[in-house]
Amino acid sequence: MNSSPSISGFRLRLLLGMMLVVGAVSALALWIAQHKVTLDVQQQLERTFQSEIASLHRARAIRHAALVERSRSLVRKPRIHAALEDNALDLLYPNAEDELRDVMEGNADADHPLRARFYRFLDANGKVIAAPASVDAGKLSPSEEAQLSLTLLPGTQQVGYLIRESSVDEIIAAPIISTETNEVIASIVLGFQPFDSSAQSQGMTAGIWTNDELVMPDATPEARAIVAAAMPKTTPGKHVEITIDGVPQLVFSELLNAGSQFPAAYEVSVYSLADAAARREQLRWQILGAGVLLLLIAGAASHYMAGRLAVPVEQLAVTSARNVVRREEAEAALEITNVELSRSMRFSADTSHQLKTPITVLRAGLEELMQQPELAQTSRDEIGALIYQTAKISSMIHDLLLLSRLDAGRLELEMTPVDLTQLIDSLADDLSAVPTSPDFDVEVDVPCGMHVLGEKRYISMILQNLIENAWKYNVPRGLIAISAHECDGMLMLRVGNSGPGIPTEAQEHIFERFHRASVGENVPGHGLGLNIARELALLHGGDLLLLSSDHEWTEFEVTFRVATVDSP
Amino acid sequence: MKLLLALHFAATVANADTIIQGHVELPKAKSTPVMAKRYEIVSKGGVLSTNPPVAVVYLEGSFAKPVTLPVQQIIQKDYIFRPSLLAVQTGSKVEFPNQDDAYHNVFSFSPAKRFDLGRYRPEDKPVPSQIFDKAGIITLRCDIHEHMRGIILVLDTPHFVISGTDGKYKLSGLPSGSYKLKAWIDSRTTLEKAVTLTSGSTTAIDFP
Repeated sequence: MNSSPSISGFRLRLLLGMMLVVGAVSALALWIAQHKVTLDVQQQLERTFQSEIASLHRARAIRHAALVERSRSLVRKPRIHAALEDNALDLLYPNAEDELRDVMEGNADADHPLRARFYRFLDANGKVIAAPASVDAGKLSPSEEAQLSLTLLPGTQQVGYLIRESSVDEIIAAPIISTETNEVIASIVLGFQPFDSSAQSQGMTAGIWTNDELVMPDATPEARAIVAAAMPKTTPGKHVEITIDGVPQLVFSELLNAGSQFPAAYEVSVYSLADAAARREQLRWQILGAGVLLLLIAGAASHYMAGRLAVPVEQLAVTSARNVVRREEAEAALEITNVELSRSMRFSADTSHQLKTPITVLRAGLEELMQQPELAQTSRDEIGALIYQTAKISSMIHDLLLLSRLDAGRLELEMTPVDLTQLIDSLADDLSAVPTSPDFDVEVDVPCGMHVLGEKRYISMILQNLIENAWKYNVPRGLIAISAHECDGMLMLRVGNSGPGIPTEAQEHIFERFHRASVGENVPGHGLGLNIARELALLHGGDLLLLSSDHEWTEFEVTFRVATVDSP
Repeated sequence: MKLLLALHFAATVANADTIIQGHVELPKAKSTPVMAKRYEIVSKGGVLSTNPPVAVVYLEGSFAKPVTLPVQQIIQKDYIFRPSLLAVQTGSKVEFPNQDDAYHNVFSFSPAKRFDLGRYRPEDKPVPSQIFDKAGIITLRCDIHEHMRGIILVLDTPHFVISGTDGKYKLSGLPSGSYKLKAWIDSRTTLEKAVTLTSGSTTAIDFP
């Protein structure tokens, strides 16, 4: 056997297999880890952006509430009401100038967050009431002023965004409700400097999108164009990813003036993912490094494990090779034995046949010799004894022949229903007809018409053997009892005799060949009868057993399969 | 004052007084008044009127202007104008005393009279006043208390009276001749009827 190359091949394959599995599992784990980490980073980032946007909104809302409160207190001013209600429009702006001085005063302090830049009144039709030249209501170009007009005077606060040359102004239109009629009779529009959202957060560029125009002072024109192009795709709360100069950016948008009559305005926040991308790249390299290290360790571990695992497999291979050799040897021996066995059986059968002929010749010669009239009585006795011996040899050869056929499995039975009752009766009659028979009581207790399945010749042989034994081993004037009963499709036939019994140590050997109970040499037989009877009983699907044997009663039981016969 | 009243009484007795009396159909009161003789200025559909409704009935014509006119008063007390409706003859002076322990700032942007008294306290003297020399309706407001409203009806006649809340009025001491009798009900509604008075007669005129 060439075990060593295949063993080392096995070791290599084992190593490769383990490396493959470990590698695949590691790669999968690392990929999942990397994916998850990337996802986490992104989510973390988005949460940060969202919270920044939320805080921005809170700041904006607080400012807005302050602005709304300012405008609300303005629209309750009795002088403004009086000017509008008592037909004194000429007094409107001069009085408003006084009332709005606090709001407009911040002009000196340009950075005051709640400073109004301009104000205008809208008449009952929503058109701007022009301010007289003498009153400083904040400068507006005619086109800007036109954008303040509303088609319908609103009953509630309206927020809008007015794009001007240098900035986007937040405008709040507050209704002026007549205290006399409870109708909206006019409206005041206040323009405030925009909320400086860029100061709130780093890494964020803020802007306003309204009237399909984007105002984002901190962005380059190219970046503005890209963001503006992405704007129609955004929906509030959802971000859009864009790329400016190769750097991914997230665009968030939020509607600032829901339900307003002024054009919809969105706050646009653009977050650069440059930092995040760098961090992700770093993480990726770290994970890759860790992965390579892990694979190296796994490879070493696999190598070691493969070596360890290969040892028992090697032993197993060696043992198995040895076993193969042994098995081949055993098979060869079995083959030889088989051949020898069949040869010996054939020999036994041949021998029996070969023997029959000379013995028949011998016997015929002896019987012819007996016919000689001049033969002395002593010689006659001698020849008689010889004839008896040839008969004995002949019977023995017959038995041997039968046995050899049984051993070779060549005895084929022709199973037919056999009338057991009739068979026993005739055998019992034969027994009583034996001339040398001493006195016996024969009790036969067999139901009428019992049929068993078998070949009559062999069943008769079994019964004859049992009955002969019962006669041979009996005491003078003893008893032979034959009884039969049926149970579960089997027929149990018992043959008992009042002989002195079989010695206990011999009981287990009585079915062996050439065994004879030590009963005395004058008992005829050659020790094959019980063996043949049992073999035949087994062949018939039954059995032959020694039921009991003591110093006064010995009983055998033979079983047969019951045959069902249609009663005539 | 008693002497004047007595004199006036003697005159009417002497020249058998000329009288117009009747009833003005008034709109329904918006709610039960808490106190008689105290009106609240209410507005509905941009129209100012009193609650409970009252009418100002006056005789229009050209009458000789008296040399002196009585000085009237509209007091600010409990953050309302009292009375909330005042009818005066053209050229009358109205004083606006502040009886609340707070600033008031009475002003009017009405075309008949624009004025602004500025902020003043009860102790500020002299009591701010205005002379109303143009006929018309004047809405009084307070710049500090946006709910306060008052009406001064400036009339080109000495013959006017504020009806009762039941709409009944009586104008007496009238000159004879043909005139227009007007009933002001709210800032948009003034009813009128031609009337010819003979001396010493009592004419009954109901609006409408």
